[in-house]
Amino acid sequence: MDCDIVLVGLNYRTAAVDVRERFALVHQTDPENWALPLGGAVHEALILSTCNRVELLAMGTGDVRSQMLSAWAKARQASVQDLEPYTYTYHNDDAVRHLFSVASSLDSMVLGEPQILGQLKQAYRKAAASHATGVILNHLLHKAFSVAKRVRTETAVASSAVSISYAAVELAKRIFGTMNEHRAMLIGAGEMAELAATHLVQNGIAEILVSNRTYSKAEELARFYHGRAVPFEHLNSAFRDVDIVITSTGAPEAIIHAKDIRQVLKARRNRPMFFIDIAVPRDVDPDVNGLDNIYLYDIDDLKEVVEENRASRRGEAIKAEGIVEEEMVSFRDWLARLNVQPTIKQLVQIGQDTICDEVERTMRRLGSTDETLKEALECMGQALVKKFLHAPISYLKEGDSAEHSRHILTIQQVFNLDGHCQSRFAQSKHAESQEEDGLQFPAFSCSCTADRAESGEQAKENAGTQEADKASSCSKDKPCTCCQGTQEGLCHA
Amino acid sequence: MTSLLSPASSTLLTLVLYAFAGVAGMLGMILKNQTIRVVAATVATCGFILQTVILFMGFHAQTAGGLSLGAYLQMMAWFVMLCGLVLWIKIHQEIPLLFGALLSLVLFCFSARSLQLVVHVPGSLHAPFYALHIGALYISLALIAISFVAGLAFLYLDQRLKARKPLPHFLRDLPALNILDSINSTATLAGFPLFTTGIVCGLIYARPVYGATLTGDPKELISLVIWACFAVIFYGRVCRGWRGRKPARLMALVFVLSLFSIVGVNLFMNSHHAFTRI
Repeated sequence: MDCDIVLVGLNYRTAAVDVRERFALVHQTDPENWALPLGGAVHEALILSTCNRVELLAMGTGDVRSQMLSAWAKARQASVQDLEPYTYTYHNDDAVRHLFSVASSLDSMVLGEPQILGQLKQAYRKAAASHATGVILNHLLHKAFSVAKRVRTETAVASSAVSISYAAVELAKRIFGTMNEHRAMLIGAGEMAELAATHLVQNGIAEILVSNRTYSKAEELARFYHGRAVPFEHLNSAFRDVDIVITSTGAPEAIIHAKDIRQVLKARRNRPMFFIDIAVPRDVDPDVNGLDNIYLYDIDDLKEVVEENRASRRGEAIKAEGIVEEEMVSFRDWLARLNVQPTIKQLVQIGQDTICDEVERTMRRLGSTDETLKEALECMGQALVKKFLHAPISYLKEGDSAEHSRHILTIQQVFNLDGHCQSRFAQSKHAESQEEDGLQFPAFSCSCTADRAESGEQAKENAGTQEADKASSCSKDKPCTCCQGTQEGLCHA
Repeated sequence: MTSLLSPASSTLLTLVLYAFAGVAGMLGMILKNQTIRVVAATVATCGFILQTVILFMGFHAQTAGGLSLGAYLQMMAWFVMLCGLVLWIKIHQEIPLLFGALLSLVLFCFSARSLQLVVHVPGSLHAPFYALHIGALYISLALIAISFVAGLAFLYLDQRLKARKPLPHFLRDLPALNILDSINSTATLAGFPLFTTGIVCGLIYARPVYGATLTGDPKELISLVIWACFAVIFYGRVCRGWRGRKPARLMALVFVLSLFSIVGVNLFMNSHHAFTRI
């Protein structure tokens, strides 16, 4: 059974800010409002919704994409036809590569910006809280986080970490030149606002004013940056002394309007103002940009600076893309190895059962109940099976996924394993404890020692019956599905 | 030495320096290379110093009592370079000086062909008022030219920012909008009193020379129109807090009118100021 990893999304390249607003899944990522229910084609899912992108990642079988699109459109009370033109879809390797690029900020509007990793971690936490992730996505997400870390440490793509707020400060410099004679106001005290404040302070801004609907939050942030808190109700009067306004609130509609700013401009004798609206939905009425000496940039408008940064970091990005590619292949190998796990488990189980049987038989033959001897025999059996199984297990792990299928078949035939191998994904829950390279032989737990405290005769009798059963289970007259009767009497299928 | 200081050779040398500065400056802007720009600005400064030395050495005295169109244009270039140099020192922006070098190059190219066309100034015009009239107007015209360049750059940058379009690579080092507006504002605030002084001196001087304060001369009329526009901008800047696009556009209009006054009236119209009439 083949499972697909599918990623459907839209981002700042495929959809304008108003479209992203329309299809944003903000509250729908919370466990109580989870927008992408499991079941049907989707087995595991994750939703990432930021101001620049909305992406749904799922693992499942069948028409996963359709189910994702339907759930997404339904959550936003829109039709799939409305949504689909703005979306892109990636499957399997491409989906993994894209996710790693997103986590490493190689696909961000501002290349190398650090926020996306935090947002992805948050999305993963919510998906996990909604019980929407399983073995595959758990591993994929953890891999994505480690790729992002590797990219940051091994390349200079994020050496001077940039973000939307950094881009905003660059634009502010284009308007005002230096920052040390200007005041800035942050409206909304979220992560983005804090980053903006950091950049402004680094660039020598004269003073930072902070406003928030929750005054205590504004005070807290203002105190941190040695700034001043302004009550939300006094915004317009505060604008008279402010040159740069960065808004990042969660307000559902615009909070700054052109008519108010016209009055403010008169009061400040037309000194220019720069509005950076990084909120989605937008906080500043777009008409404000029509006023003389007012410059308004929303999140999309920051593309210019972003492209500039992208160009200057192109060399590093190529290096980072190499890491992403390498890790994608590593994940693919892990996924392929996951396919062989049930076979390995079966092999190990057969080995354990054989040890168990043979130790019991030997102990009976010796007529001994010495536990020390029994433990020594078990240890020896473990060592022998381990060595014996090393070669076939290595053989199973070799090669790509196509080769794995062939290897599984060969091993199953050679060892007479159950031909009805369960799907890797159905089995994956059981394999959860086994890390990719950490396949461990389970601690010896022979079920026969306690439960089969039978007498020697009984055991012989039982053994004889079992042998007879085995012999009778496969014959030329009654060939089994495994050997088709070619290994008559030896087949244990 | 004498041949080096001749009007033609000095003009040629200054022209070469300004040409080098202008081309290297543009190259520095395209390549976003600060070092090249600074070298270009330094060469432009050398050209300005050479021009100043030549002016003080008074080679024009060789054409005693004369005023040539070439010298007139070179004086204009000198004032433009002076303004550019002041801005470089004052606001640490070499770009106005580099644009000034290009403008001076153009003025020098025109001046080279007309240095020999000397028109003798009548004795009646030899007076301090006349020097003040010419000097004040020259400086104010140079300031108008500088504010025009700054205003154009402002309008372009403003338009790009408003339209949220990226700047071409070679213009990434344009000064910030605030700096461009500040150059425009400074040029207006300094230029208008100088222009007024020049006009008033001219009007006062016209009475004894031509028998009336206003003689209906085309130069007088266009100058009054320029002054009126200039006054509006000055008033707007000082009293109404004008900034940005509006004063930049009006200063561009003032520059165009000034250009017409200098080139159109002086060369092609029947005026007291025409080089054909002086």
